[in-house]
Amino acid sequence: MTTTDSVPSPPALDLTAVSKRFGSVTALRDITFSVAQGEVHGLLGPNGAGKSTLLRLLFGLVRTDHGDVRTLGRDAHAGQHGVAGFVDMPSFYPYFTARKNLQLLGDYDGGHGREHVEEALATVGLADRSRHKVGTYSTGMRQRLGIAAALLRDPQLLILDEPTSGIDPSGVHEVHELIDHLAATGRTVLLSSHDMSEVERLCGSVTILNHGRLVYSGCLESLRQAAPAPSFNLRTADDAVAREVGDVIPGVQVDAAGEGLVVYAQSTELDAFVLTLAARGVAVRGLTRRDTALEALFLRLTAETEDDVEEDAA
Amino acid sequence: MTDTLARLETAPAPVAELTRRPFTHSTAIVLGWELEKLTAQLRTRGAFAVALLGPFAFVLSVSASGTLPADTLFGRYVLTSGFATPLVVLGFAASWGFPLLTCVVAGDIFSAEDHHGTWKTLLTRSCSRASIFTGKALAVVVYTVSVLAVLTCSSLAAGLVVEGKQPLIGLSGNLIASGRATELVLLAWLTVLPPALAFAAIGMLASIVSRNSLVGILGSVALGLAMQFGGLIDGAEPLRRGLLGTQFLAWHGLFEEPGYTGAITEDVLVSAAYLAVCGTAAWLVLRRRDITGG
Repeated sequence: MTTTDSVPSPPALDLTAVSKRFGSVTALRDITFSVAQGEVHGLLGPNGAGKSTLLRLLFGLVRTDHGDVRTLGRDAHAGQHGVAGFVDMPSFYPYFTARKNLQLLGDYDGGHGREHVEEALATVGLADRSRHKVGTYSTGMRQRLGIAAALLRDPQLLILDEPTSGIDPSGVHEVHELIDHLAATGRTVLLSSHDMSEVERLCGSVTILNHGRLVYSGCLESLRQAAPAPSFNLRTADDAVAREVGDVIPGVQVDAAGEGLVVYAQSTELDAFVLTLAARGVAVRGLTRRDTALEALFLRLTAETEDDVEEDAA
Repeated sequence: MTDTLARLETAPAPVAELTRRPFTHSTAIVLGWELEKLTAQLRTRGAFAVALLGPFAFVLSVSASGTLPADTLFGRYVLTSGFATPLVVLGFAASWGFPLLTCVVAGDIFSAEDHHGTWKTLLTRSCSRASIFTGKALAVVVYTVSVLAVLTCSSLAAGLVVEGKQPLIGLSGNLIASGRATELVLLAWLTVLPPALAFAAIGMLASIVSRNSLVGILGSVALGLAMQFGGLIDGAEPLRRGLLGTQFLAWHGLFEEPGYTGAITEDVLVSAAYLAVCGTAAWLVLRRRDITGG
């Protein structure tokens, strides 16, 4: 008798009660979250939040002090099967050409991907520079080469640490397009980034770290719903009247900030606010976005953790 | 975004197909690439150039000046027998030459990955740490044997080409015919291979622990010199016999009448002990290390 029930696939990555210290510094504290296969998951956090340590744990480069890290159902420290990507700036041998560096990495994978070296170089736009030594490469070119190295493995789980850092705008668009394609074929992408708009554009779920603690992990949409109104810098001909108008329109908050105003409002309420200002004869001289809703929430969440850390320290 | 995207349109390969290759296979791959890295580096080429040309420069300068290195064993015979040249070079190299020659690679081969930040690049592929360690260690062995072979051949060739193959006067005043002298010179050079490999193991350990090539190379050379000085301390015979520097002198008995090979046995045993201890320690440190930087 046979069964047609399919075995549920394990999470692409699964961390359970993970802690890591370096000397007296706690890099990660009791981190638990998982990412289902096929997701594009963002990893956010300010500098020193523990993102790099977490990525190194996923790659098996550092060991946990406590807890369990599994990638594609296997102990991350037991080997990088089906996992590719990079943490921090991708590094290569400067005295080898880009092609030779990729051939080396292809061979280290037992020959996997060696035949795809040329197309990987072409994909990231380095085909015409492939015979140059990597020592002559710019930061952006090394970043591209790092992506090419990851693609050689045809990974199920792609881990990218700020992949668009140092890349020109057209290159950023290409990287985004690549991530979209990977996601469309069922691959999982973990994207660590400082760029909130990039995460909003690409990811369906997100994990936020701060001071080594998990601040949030889950669906981006849920986070977006919990987000406060985005904020805008406003300059008008009459700030006093503008504040009066802000007080009477529901969903709009106007605060003084330096020589101008800061307006907190969703787009519909903001439209109504600006139209009312015009009706009252108050000229709008400048209106610029300060942060997105997600950025505002990110700042609030990380600020709350700061308070917790200070309380713990006290 | 053309061919790769087309390839990536399909589902990824099952994880089972990406399992690691056998240890010997992946180690052989690492070894091959380590040798390629070494040949691409200026310092390796420089070491081979010194090994190849140094003896010729030495014997030509002695010939030209007529001043013999009389304080060195066989130094007074440099102008009378070509077989003296490789033995004088052997004597000179024992103090710091061999440690420097071996550790210029051994002291750098691991810390270079820290320097270039490439540990994370390598260790996120399918090769295990064990394969990478073994492949690198084997590359050090290949380099050490090769550079010693070049130095042996070039110093022998330099002596024979410049001074000729006249018989050599042994340490007991015995005359050694050219055929026998060739055998003994080659055997003498073979006896420095074990301590040279032991120094390479020290260099590897220093390279892994310090993560710094300068410490890996110069630290090992300084240790070699310290061992030479340690060997000069009166009344410390057990200490002297346990020092690596002493093992570079094990060949002296070959040129006495009757020949004495007990020191060579001791040379092999002491060097093997250093090799085992330093090699094991190096592996244990690397195996447990968190890759936080490179």
